[in-house]
Amino acid sequence: MTQIIRNFFIALRQIAVGDKKYYAWVAFLSFLILLGASAYIGQLNRGLIITAMRDQVSWGFYISNFTFLVGVAAAAVLLVIPAYIYNFKPIKEIVLFGELLAISAITMCILFIMVDMGQPMRVWHILPFIGSMNFPASLLAWDVVVLNGYLAINSIIAFYVLYRLSIGKEYKMSVIGPLIILSIPWAVSIHTVTAFLYNGLPARPFWNASILAPRFLASAFCSGPALMIVLFQIIRKLSEVEIENKAILKIAELIAYAMGINLFLLGAEIFKEFYSGSIHSEPIKYLYFGLHGHNKLVPWTWFATILNISAFFLFLFPKTRENITTLNMACAFVITGVYIEKGMGLIIPGFIPDTLGEIYEYTPTMQEIIITIGIWATGALLYTFLLKLAIPVYTGKLRFFSKAQMVTASDIMSRRIVSVSPDTFADEVAQLLVSKHMGEAAVVDQSGRLVGTVTEADIISLEVGQAAGKKVSDIMSSPAASIAEDMKIQELGKILADRKVPSLFVLNKDSQPIGTVSSSDVLKALENIRKE
Amino acid sequence: MEHDEKENKNLTRRTLLKGAALGLAGITLPLDRANASFWEAFFQKHFREMNESEIKKVIGRLEKEYAEKYKKAITVGNEKPLPGVSFGYGLDLSRCIGCRRCVYGCVDENNQSLDPQIHWITVLRFKKGEKWVDLENAEKYYNPETVPQEEYFYMPVQCQQCENPPCVRSCPTQATWKDPDGIVVIDYNWCIGCRYCMAACPYGARRFNWAAPNRPSEKINPNTHYLGNRPRYKGVVEKCTFCVQRTRNGRYPACVEACPVGARKFGNLLDPESEMRYLIKHKRVFRLKEDLNTNPKFYYFFAYGN
Repeated sequence: MTQIIRNFFIALRQIAVGDKKYYAWVAFLSFLILLGASAYIGQLNRGLIITAMRDQVSWGFYISNFTFLVGVAAAAVLLVIPAYIYNFKPIKEIVLFGELLAISAITMCILFIMVDMGQPMRVWHILPFIGSMNFPASLLAWDVVVLNGYLAINSIIAFYVLYRLSIGKEYKMSVIGPLIILSIPWAVSIHTVTAFLYNGLPARPFWNASILAPRFLASAFCSGPALMIVLFQIIRKLSEVEIENKAILKIAELIAYAMGINLFLLGAEIFKEFYSGSIHSEPIKYLYFGLHGHNKLVPWTWFATILNISAFFLFLFPKTRENITTLNMACAFVITGVYIEKGMGLIIPGFIPDTLGEIYEYTPTMQEIIITIGIWATGALLYTFLLKLAIPVYTGKLRFFSKAQMVTASDIMSRRIVSVSPDTFADEVAQLLVSKHMGEAAVVDQSGRLVGTVTEADIISLEVGQAAGKKVSDIMSSPAASIAEDMKIQELGKILADRKVPSLFVLNKDSQPIGTVSSSDVLKALENIRKE
Repeated sequence: MEHDEKENKNLTRRTLLKGAALGLAGITLPLDRANASFWEAFFQKHFREMNESEIKKVIGRLEKEYAEKYKKAITVGNEKPLPGVSFGYGLDLSRCIGCRRCVYGCVDENNQSLDPQIHWITVLRFKKGEKWVDLENAEKYYNPETVPQEEYFYMPVQCQQCENPPCVRSCPTQATWKDPDGIVVIDYNWCIGCRYCMAACPYGARRFNWAAPNRPSEKINPNTHYLGNRPRYKGVVEKCTFCVQRTRNGRYPACVEACPVGARKFGNLLDPESEMRYLIKHKRVFRLKEDLNTNPKFYYFFAYGN
């Protein structure tokens, strides 16, 4: 228990203490969060009327951001597969940072859902058992299950790996392997379910297309890893973590495939919508060309299209993919392109024209934007804190107290001990040692304090027969090698190794010897801990 | 060890959620109302999970709250669906003159907010001589000096009380459901305001309280139903209930009574002698967006040419 509390404070300290740059960054994010929070309090008091959403367009900027971030979270799987399944070392070394990103992204997703709710205090109504979750009928209920499940799975994996690292050990695949395997289909599921959320509504022809879920996945596998490439370079620059270019280039290659598939699926959808040209094509017409003079999304759509196509070619050609400048450019393009395409570009046309044919053009209000920035800042702050803790653990600079480190000399010492006074005759000591099968005796004064030691060797080295007259005080070595009973096992090991003595006396607080520890005691103890 | 950690996490998540909810409660709640009734409302169970005495208690609390707020007595009824009844609605497009009296009759009966303005009925205007019910080219905000206009026809749309309602399926908390008499109702105290039902509804029938509903006390209709026209809250969804507070007491919906030309018909679909059964049998009826298989109980028809 004390171990957990201690480690908690170590972690807290690691997060709370940093250099000026770190404080400035945290202060900047906190400022944005405070702005967002105050805007949100305004929304709580006045209602969602402060947004630009209305009955016609009943979801807007919050849900757009939510959808994009589900993709970012799901993309962690693109690292998990090469890292754990194929044991690709360069990616294995960074998969942890991908998992921490997934945790931050899902947290943002949940926050975006929370701020979109008209009655956030009633959120517990959606939970199973204490509320009345409409499972399996409602896809939103499914989303609650898969998103929270994904958050839990990634948190357990990441924190388990971190914990093992922090006590200086490798993680065990036998413990975490099944969860890692589970996390792969689960990552696919969070995005599939989120796509089905829209896909399953026949009322909205723009969303009611089977291609939606594959498109979601393909675009997620572009934007998420692109974001990771950028973040990994920042991590590499600001910390001592070494991230190989090999890992980054591997991810870039994966993006090239995903982007190709994404563009193909988009093309397939555009063909179907425009070639068939039924009234159900009105939303996509609105998106690309505007409808009856309403065209607020049109420039954004084309901007995103150009970005996505340019990014595809930048990722496709090895020359531009392997050049860090053009690679970063491609990443920025793809993040922005997908953010527009799968955010506002997906949500808003679902509502335009609305089910009765009305066109209500939606542009988020300043408050909506501020709240959204606040949530992004919250995610960034969470990721910062997670990295601040994870990086030194990862590089070996930060170690937690483990059970092994809590083991002390008195836990592992041998309690068999022979004590003699300095006035004892040498031959008496020899008899005593032989009868007790011991090699060494502690020499103690009248109050039991250790003053020296006599070994078999000390006695043998006296010429035979001469021993009769000698007293312990004449032949003992003083002072004797000793340590305090509360000394930690690690330190103990070091002393044994450094001093090259076979064993040490263990003293209590009053300097009285209470046992001995030998190198073999330490070894045995370490072995036991390892087995645990 | 791992197991323990997991449990701890679940536990803290839950307490965190509840804690957050309570925190929010603290923010939104004016201090003078921080009384027992607030917590009673917060922990109120789902309507369909309450027994009679619990419902009675809740209704008592609501009536007290409404009385304080509107300074007049408001009754909150809880009439159950009548056995052997499934309500159906008929709308004669050949008679409708687009006067919107049904819209305002509905607002007065059902205590809709005046600011922001909420209407449960939308009247659409279509140009004659082009396509027929072409929703993509419908006009909602027509405003001529007088109606009807020779070159237009009109179609009111409201909740179609689908037999297979997409909104009910989509609601993540079961806050909306179809009662045995076919009326789709909402528990305004259980709705979390996620608006998934609004995305799911093919008829644009659902309305959200984007702000706190506003209706002066003298305009409040005091005869209400828990699942119908009782005053609503900020942040919840509402919609037409076929005037559940009237129809379960054998009366017509307010819109039927408000219509000056008799375009609106209402009755029990299970009663072979009802007007609804007669017109389904003898008129050529159609329902909106039949291709979606929502199976509405709202029938449009043309009683005569023109």
